[in-house]
Amino acid sequence: MHGKRGLISVVCRVLGGLLLLAISTNVSPCYGYFMDKQVDKVVNTWSRFDRFLSTFDPAGRYVRQPVERQIPALTFRGFLRQWSDVQLSGDRRVGNRRKDFRFSQMQNLLELELHYQVSPNIEITNINNFIYDGVYNWQDSAGLFASRTSETFRAYHNFERIVRELYVSYRTHNLDVVLGKQQIAWGKMDGQFIDVINGMDRRESVQLEASDYEWRRLPVWMANATYFFGANSLNFLWIPNFEQDRNPVPGSPWYSPLAPPRDTETKALLDGRQDATGDQFRETKRPSAGDFGDHQYGLRLDVSMEPLTWGLIYYYAWNKNPTSFIVDRDIDAAGDPHLTFQPRFTRMHHLGITADYASALSNMPLVGELPMVLRVEGLWTKDVPFADFDHQQAARDGSLNSGIIRRDTLRAAIALEFAFPGNTSAIIQPSLLYTFDWRRNLGGGFGGGIGDEMSLLPVFFVGRPFRFTRDRLRLELTVVPVISLPQKKWQGIKTKFVSSYRFSQFVTGRLIYTAFSSGDRTDLYGQYNKWDNIGWELSYEF
Amino acid sequence: MHRRFFFLTVWAFSFLSSLAIAIAGAAEQNGSHRQTWKTVAELSEAEKSRLDFRVDTPRDTTVPYLPAEAYPFKPPYTAEEMGYRAMEFPHIARWSHAMADVFGAITGNGFLDEGITLAYSYYIPDEDGVLGQLSMTPGEAYFRMVFFYTYPPENQGLQDLWILRRTDKEETTKLDNFIYSPTLRRVRRQPQPRRDAQFPNNVQTFDDVVGRDAWEFSWRLLGTDVLHKTVRFPNTRPTVTLAKPDGSFDEVPSDHIKMLGDTYPHYTEDGGVGCYVVEATRRKDWLPHYRMGRLIYWLDKHSFYPLRIEQYDNDNQLRVIEVRNAYLVNPALEERGYAGLFTVYYDIALDLMSYSAHDAHWVKEWSQEDQDTMFEPDFMRRNWLKYPLKSQSLVYSPEKFFLRPLLYPDKFPQDRSVAISAELAQRYRLQEEAGHLVFDISSPLIEVKAQQ
Repeated sequence: MHGKRGLISVVCRVLGGLLLLAISTNVSPCYGYFMDKQVDKVVNTWSRFDRFLSTFDPAGRYVRQPVERQIPALTFRGFLRQWSDVQLSGDRRVGNRRKDFRFSQMQNLLELELHYQVSPNIEITNINNFIYDGVYNWQDSAGLFASRTSETFRAYHNFERIVRELYVSYRTHNLDVVLGKQQIAWGKMDGQFIDVINGMDRRESVQLEASDYEWRRLPVWMANATYFFGANSLNFLWIPNFEQDRNPVPGSPWYSPLAPPRDTETKALLDGRQDATGDQFRETKRPSAGDFGDHQYGLRLDVSMEPLTWGLIYYYAWNKNPTSFIVDRDIDAAGDPHLTFQPRFTRMHHLGITADYASALSNMPLVGELPMVLRVEGLWTKDVPFADFDHQQAARDGSLNSGIIRRDTLRAAIALEFAFPGNTSAIIQPSLLYTFDWRRNLGGGFGGGIGDEMSLLPVFFVGRPFRFTRDRLRLELTVVPVISLPQKKWQGIKTKFVSSYRFSQFVTGRLIYTAFSSGDRTDLYGQYNKWDNIGWELSYEF
Repeated sequence: MHRRFFFLTVWAFSFLSSLAIAIAGAAEQNGSHRQTWKTVAELSEAEKSRLDFRVDTPRDTTVPYLPAEAYPFKPPYTAEEMGYRAMEFPHIARWSHAMADVFGAITGNGFLDEGITLAYSYYIPDEDGVLGQLSMTPGEAYFRMVFFYTYPPENQGLQDLWILRRTDKEETTKLDNFIYSPTLRRVRRQPQPRRDAQFPNNVQTFDDVVGRDAWEFSWRLLGTDVLHKTVRFPNTRPTVTLAKPDGSFDEVPSDHIKMLGDTYPHYTEDGGVGCYVVEATRRKDWLPHYRMGRLIYWLDKHSFYPLRIEQYDNDNQLRVIEVRNAYLVNPALEERGYAGLFTVYYDIALDLMSYSAHDAHWVKEWSQEDQDTMFEPDFMRRNWLKYPLKSQSLVYSPEKFFLRPLLYPDKFPQDRSVAISAELAQRYRLQEEAGHLVFDISSPLIEVKAQQ
């Protein structure tokens, strides 16, 4: 507790200092009247530094611009971003985790994006990411050892990860054809509703934010064709390549504390000091790009009927996470039954709808006219596999079955976005996750309620820039409560407070406080009660 | 106690010095010319012959808020008719075109923020200009604009689609707004910006960009004036690079850029432009919650092009000054074919200045295919920069930013009040002396303090 308070105090001091610095950039030198000369000198020095910083762009000036001058058909840009999260709780054991690390993230990302215009209609695009996360090397932690099972958690080290996107696009007035490795974002809402095409790197688990999807989606090789007719379009995807979600693995900062076994046992297994006991898991069966029957297909229709736009999607896809089917049963020497599981990916049908509508509320008290947008999005998924623990028990008792049942699920949201004075925006977005024909003792499944029949997530967001900083300082607050019914009820609340500051049009800094409060230790957010953290991001774009 | 007395003394001194500096600085803030303005009472008979001083003119039989006389009106002009004629010239020209819109803002201490967006504008009505807008029914779209950001890198690939609608008291939605964010990879509909709210880190409001409808204001003639300067370049920027639509560039001496271009035939002998000065007061039944109470326009006497616009808040404080340089871009429209080249907006309270340069202006009739596809929300996710235009008009350095506009504190004193702080007066004085913006003004102020 003392450690947490100490850290909060340090963080408060840092925040206070930064706020003073931010204000000082806009403090008029005239206030020198009321300050002694040294303070005046500091303000003026900062002011000069501020002017210098506003045009500081060495990579743009010495790399991007010369390259683009040499190769006029090439457009080149990129960014360097450092983002770190510091845990506010000290060493402790939480569930099965040895939580002895302070930094849950020390990521350094260099992105290079190149566009080469072959002809007015043909363009080649390549986006590369080079990432290194220092948490596994730069702190002494027994609880962080994910890099032993997957180097990707420490650094991108192979073609698959470094070359994120590589595609050629051909465009005419009515037709777009994009061939190659790419990512697709369907939908209009914050969060994932019909945005289901690509797998996702979910290493940050419950801390993964919509603003990070761009760098966390896992691009795949596909053919993407869109036919435009008037204000409408029809998009077709053919995806031979399959990429599953990458979830936190044992020894990574956000691996669920609920998941057994304990870290010490996992490490013993990795070291070969202990043999696996209990149920057996075979190697996961994956779809094959060489098998035409394993390919995925998507279709999207967008219609514009101003002021309403709407769209429909259909996606015949693989579940992004494998399902463990029971394939065998053994009795060990002690007479205990053990099951053998075969993890494999299953087919699902997704049908989705998206729509948005703009309007304005007239004669509102204090604000007069209040512009607003209504967004609606929903995804109905057929044949989602769920682990059925009743069936598993029956299998253990001798009645062998797959241990899986299939259910349909719905995930949907309605968002209302308002434009208040002072460039203040507020969003209220109630979201629903629902499992049809739900029953007790089901595990988790795509799109369904979180450990329950239904989950409600009434998201609230408010954000505004501050004019006294010339809008360089912006504060945002997002609150995400989770309520699951009929069993779990309250599952905790996630609060995120972001303070971002534009040091220049090239350099931006962000301070982020994320807290997971209340809920039981087996709940979605409750289990991460000790994962409250403060993060910072410093980004230079060129 | 002593400290309190010291602060009071300093406050009193700064207040008095503000007045003194304002008066002493009036010459710089007026420019160096003799009195150029006349009130209505001072106008000659010849000048009055072109003017109609009535305020209750006959109304259109079908649309009661429009004057009965057919647009574009004939002399003598009422102030209201001048307001309608000035509607021809919002920030973005009222005809189909493409251009590189270069923009930026600078704070009082020199923090510079700039960007470039390629703007493709499709004017939907058969007829360009105000007549085209009036030919649409309220609620109907009359203008579509796509903005494709190419600079700075953080905004590269960002796109905006604006669909402007004619409004009236019932149909109040002026804009359908969609954005495409490369980091979200999504086209998203946005609430329309609040019409009177300044964009982040900028002086411009949405209404400053798309223009204000004359029927939302009541109009009054204040007099005439001759302007000699609007947008002022610093002596640190002797030349400006201007682009042509074909991709070529011209290096133009900045002091050769005239207020209404080289072809304008009505400059006075000393290079001034004769203007009508009209006041637009918001009609509360049309704009019940509007940040600005009134605006004062300096309209060129021949085309009614607004060369200077002052915005006063509801407490009658001068908040924003907008000054423009324009030229005849679309000769086919004759005197209605002027479009802005450089525009500077200045927020006096914030000492924040922003500019916009409309470079490589290309009057363009969009093909049917372009009309059908380019101006739809879905087009943006194609990320297709179909007509790339280049510009080298960025300021790049805080020291080369435009000068603050002249304040003219003694023009039309019965209708204008220009009150600025001592600090701002000092900044003005230093700017006028140096010929460019001066950011560090602490030393002179400390000298003033020492004189106590």
